[in-house]
Parts: sequence; C-alpha cells; structure tokens
Amino acid sequence: MRGGKDELTLETYKKLFEDLYPQLCVFAYKYLNDLDLSKDTVQEVFVKVWEDKITFQNENHATGFFYKAVKNKCLNYLKSKQYKVTERYELANLEVYDTEEYYISEAVAIETTAVIEKAINKLPEKAAQVIRLSIEDYTNNQIADELSISINTVKDHKKIAYRKLRDFLSFLTKK
Amino acid sequence: MGNSSKIKSLSKKIAASLIKNEMPNDLETSEIFDAKTKAQMLSEIKSGKYSDLLKEIDTEKDWKILERKIQQQTRKSFKFWYYGAAATVALLITIGFVFNKTNQDQDFDEPIIVNNNIKIGTDKATLTLEDGSDVILEKGQVYESNHVASNGEELVYKTSKQKQTTDNYNILTIPRGGQFYILLSDGTKVWLNSESQLKYPIAFTEGKTRQVELVYGEAYFDVSPNTEHKGAKFKVFNRSQEVEVLGTEFNIKAYKDDTNISTLLVEGKVSVSTAVENQVLVPNQQSTLNLETNKISITTVADVYNETAWRDGIFSFENKPLKEIFKVLSRWYDMDVIIENKVKTEERFIGTFNKSNSIEDILIAIKSTNFINSYEINDKTLTIK
Repeated sequence: MRGGKDELTLETYKKLFEDLYPQLCVFAYKYLNDLDLSKDTVQEVFVKVWEDKITFQNENHATGFFYKAVKNKCLNYLKSKQYKVTERYELANLEVYDTEEYYISEAVAIETTAVIEKAINKLPEKAAQVIRLSIEDYTNNQIADELSISINTVKDHKKIAYRKLRDFLSFLTKK
Repeated sequence: MGNSSKIKSLSKKIAASLIKNEMPNDLETSEIFDAKTKAQMLSEIKSGKYSDLLKEIDTEKDWKILERKIQQQTRKSFKFWYYGAAATVALLITIGFVFNKTNQDQDFDEPIIVNNNIKIGTDKATLTLEDGSDVILEKGQVYESNHVASNGEELVYKTSKQKQTTDNYNILTIPRGGQFYILLSDGTKVWLNSESQLKYPIAFTEGKTRQVELVYGEAYFDVSPNTEHKGAKFKVFNRSQEVEVLGTEFNIKAYKDDTNISTLLVEGKVSVSTAVENQVLVPNQQSTLNLETNKISITTVADVYNETAWRDGIFSFENKPLKEIFKVLSRWYDMDVIIENKVKTEERFIGTFNKSNSIEDILIAIKSTNFINSYEINDKTLTIK
C-alpha cells in the first residue's frame, strides 16, 4: 500500500487485490448468495477503480472504499429488475442491507476472519488447530481432549504459535 | 467516507486480540455498532463462519482474469460499469451513486429545508388545437374530439388516410415537471420529455412525406415504417436540423438552453441534415449539431439505454458531470438550481434513479458520495453547497 496520490501501478494494484479480494467476494456473497456472481461483481469494481485511476491515501481508505463500492454494486443488483425476476430476497431486507451499521459490521466480521486465517496459515498444522480452537473459546483442557493430546502439548503449541506470529501480531496492533 | 475507513484498522486489532486470547476491547468500545451487533459479530468471527468460503476463492487465478480484463479495457476503453438494469425497463428504486474519484473524510452540514415546494413531475401537457385554443391535459382529465382522444396520460390520434393536403396542425407543449406520450395518426409513437414542444399535423396526407417539428426539448420517436404508408418518408424538423427517417427509433435532444442538438439512433437508419451538411447514422451513433459552428459531429454511444431511459421513468446517468445531472433534474422537478462555486460541478457520476423518487431521495444519494456538503431547499429553489 502506498501513501501519496500517485497513480497505482499494476504491481501495487495486484498487492491490493490480493489483500482484499477474497474478503470482498465473501462480503458480496452475503448480499448476492451466489459465489460466482459475487466474484464477477468484485472484479467489476476492481476494473472500474483501475479504469478511473482512483488513488487512495492509505490502506484504511482503500479498504473502506472497496467495501462501500462492493456494497453499492450489490444493492444496485438486488434492486434491479433483472434480479427481481428471481425473487430470492424480500425487498424489505434491502433497507437493513443499506444501513451503515449492517454493512460495516459484516465487513469487519469478514475482514477479521480473513486476518485470522492469514495468521493461522503461517503456523504448522498442529499449532494452527490449537489456535483455531482457542479462538473458538476452548480452554486448554478442552483443546487437549478435542485433539487427544496432553495439556502440556497444547501449551507448547501455543508457545510455538505466538513465537511464529510475533512479527505479524505487532504489525496488526501498530498504530 | 466516515466509518468505512475504520474497517481495516478495527479488524486488525480484533484479530490480534482474539489470536492472543484477549478480550477484543477495540470492538467493545466501538461506537459504530450496538451491543447486540457486537455480540453477533464476535460469534461469527469466533465460529470461523466465513473461513470455508474464503478458502474457496482462488485469488491468483482471479487476478489473472482481472489482469486480462484491465488490459482489454485499456485497449478498447469502452465503458464497463454495467447495470443489471441497463437491459431492462423501469422498476428501479433509488440506487446508491458510485463515485469515481477519491474523496476525503470531511464533516457535513445537515441540509436545510424551508417550505419545500419541489414536486415530482407528472404526465401533463397543453394541447393547442388548430383554431389556437388550448386544452390542458393531465391525469384525470379526459378529452375527446373528432380526431383525437386523451385520458390525461396520453394523446391518441385516430388513424385516417387523407387524400388531400391539410394544413391543420396541433401543438403539444410539455411544461417543466411534465412528460407525455402521443400516438400520431400514422401510428408513430412519440415520448416527450419535460420542457418540450412538438408540432404535427392532425392527419398525414397519404403517400406524401410525413413532417413534424420538434420545436424545442427532447423526444423519442418510434416511427411507423414507410412501407405501411406507401413509401412516405418521415421527417423531423428542429431549428436548423432535419432528420429523415425510414421507420426507426431515435431520440432527439434540443433543449432551449442547449447549444447543440443531439440525435441518437436506437434502431433503423436516419439521415441528419443541415442546409449544408448531411450525415447518415447507424444504430448507437449520435450526431451532435453545434448550433454555433453549424457543424455535425458523430460519436458512438455504448449504451443507448442511458440516453433513452427517461421515457421508461428512469434517470440513468452514466459518467455525467454534476452540473448536467442537475440540469436534467431541474426540468423534471421544475426547480431552479443554484450551485455554489465551491462545488466541483465537473465531477462525473454514475447513478440511476426512478423518476418517481422525491428530489430529497435523490439529493440524499448524491450527498452520500461526499461530493456535495449540503443542500438547501427554499420554495422551488435548490441550492447545492
């Protein structure tokens, strides 16, 4: 991600895409209930942003922009006649979908899940399982039961995990 | 852009807390959501509800697809932003504007509304008969004479094939805030937009060129083919321009305050002429006659729907500057629009509105793009700030 207001290069745009695309597809899926359509919709937004040479001040600005643009595009689709023919949603839902609280809460839940996944993907398999269960509020005892390992092994895996994730966690919490 | 710019930073902090098995304080103290929403978000995140879906997405593969699209785009540079509604008709509700330039976080003033007298346009027109008398046509007003009938929403001329020439013309005038549909005696359909005037014969002489005049304004013509009229051509005159038609659909825009006349061909074939020039249009081509230089230029319109959606009760703005959008809105809502100097009137927008929306619905959508700070309505005057 870059500051300033220079034009995006294809290379930086790829980084931005990799950072946001999966989450945005899942976010679009919440509205459209069709994964292929969701991917197309998100890609259209990316094409449009590129075409219009939109620049972003920082990562937060870019993320907010894309979620909002995807939300608008999904709602446009849901309100179009083309969609109405299939009638998968009640129109009444649309008012809820359009509120800021709704779309930002969905965006944050999905974005947070994506960040957690990114962290877990950096871990060895067993440590990943332990952390996943720990996030689901399992106690060390319950994790030990679930994975048929000893409590001490659970603790060891957690230590490994935190050591591996030290840099990533400090990146996440830095101001 | 308000709270949306907090999505990334908030998500990173919540993720860090949860990985470390700590309470996500940043979520707990956030003022964006109520307690119930927070609890729901937390349970969705913890359960890993979205993890499986996320894994189904192949980012590398889709980047290659996108890269191809972008490169094609750069080569062809046609408009890509497509609406689900583009190929269909009506029934749209207000749609969020999608903005196409960066904008910064800023504070906004609440709109000021004083005695809002700006009304949504309706079907209405004044029919001027051959003897010069006027008939007001509007919803609920029924009018019928020997050769024409109206239910207040449309005007229908009875089919008649006259053997001899007649000079009997009627004039239909559509005020600001109005629109009307008219079926001429030869079967040609004409949709007239706000602030427009059409002059036409009560009946056409069989086998002779059919001639009407769009005195000013905007009209969409669906011309009854010449094969049904012993080869009689159809001509639309307009100031210094003449359009000759052989059975076809097209839109002419020639508002009094415009310095040019646009003719967009939707279907068939027309020729556009001035005293010195003649151009033939094929579908999707638009000719623009500059009234100052008297020159005709031709452009291709990728999506004719945007230009002709008005007759389906829709405003469809595709990459239009703000000032042009307000010009169109001022005709339908019969309002005066003042745009303050600080507003960037050249910024371009994409958006679709139903013409049955109130002006405020539309303003709220435009304001949500953050390109206008506020607006003020006082009687029939709208001020954009």
